Amino acid sequence: MALAVTLQAPMCLQREDGTLESRAEMEGFLREVETRAFRIAVISTRDAGEALDIVQDAMISLARRYADRSAEEWRPLFYRILKNRIRDWQRRRIVRGRVMSFFGGQEGEEYDPVAQAPGPTSENPLEALARSDAMDALEQALRELPKRQREAFMLRNFEGLDVADTATAMGCSDGSVKTHYSRAVHRLRDALGEHV
Amino acid sequence: MDSESVKKDRDFEERTKLLFEQSVAALDGQTRSKLTQARYRALEELAERASPGWSRSWLPAGAVAAVALLSLMLWQGQMGPLTTSGFDVAAVTDLEILFGEEEFDMIEELEFYAWLEEQVELTSGEIVEDGIG
Repeated sequence: MALAVTLQAPMCLQREDGTLESRAEMEGFLREVETRAFRIAVISTRDAGEALDIVQDAMISLARRYADRSAEEWRPLFYRILKNRIRDWQRRRIVRGRVMSFFGGQEGEEYDPVAQAPGPTSENPLEALARSDAMDALEQALRELPKRQREAFMLRNFEGLDVADTATAMGCSDGSVKTHYSRAVHRLRDALGEHV
Repeated sequence: MDSESVKKDRDFEERTKLLFEQSVAALDGQTRSKLTQARYRALEELAERASPGWSRSWLPAGAVAAVALLSLMLWQGQMGPLTTSGFDVAAVTDLEILFGEEEFDMIEELEFYAWLEEQVELTSGEIVEDGIG
């Protein structure tokens, strides 16, 4: 009996250590991706509140379902969840819009430029304004891209995923990612010229 | 593609990446605070998952046990009377939900799917009359 107690104690400690370690690892990962994921969600939804809910939902889903996977797998999995959540939101918004228009109401976009504005910084206001204009133009051009091209561009260019991870996140082949990304770059370049 | 075009693409990609990074860096404190709260909510989920008591990992086993029991009861005819077709459709639908992993997402958004189904019925004009009135 005594032997069992002495054997069990280190195992408990080991288990606790493992849990703490995996929590720290997951926290580090989420901390790293949260702001970028939020910006990507804002670009897709044009709504900071919705974007926040979507990112939180994606983080919870990753922790709930994929915490056991290796940390290298988290990034493509997280972005796959995020992409699916954004798509679900867009579908719901379309259906809601249809219903609202059927009843003669309006599905307000409620885009609040003040809420979307960045916080105060110490940089030159003119430079900040120019950059903000350029980012607005880029976001607008991104919204006009076909969905798959937009996803490929944001994952590859903004998030820096490689082709294989982007393919996992998008649920398509490496070849499709390359095609979507290349088309996105050319269309954006054509649309924005030297504006960016 | 010529090298000039490749270079232009690369320059463009670098500029867009930089713009994005700057927009991330410019996020206000309130948004960052909300994101931190969201992260902690996700980590709470992780803690619940790791707790030694009730675990979600037992859900599939529980579902299988429930299905086995249900099957046995159906087989032995101890359940209530079956539908006219001899099959309890509602029970089978529940089992499908229990078995499919994808359906866990659906369960989380059940209200939305119920509403959506209602819309489909409304638009297709296939509302089943309940015989009242």
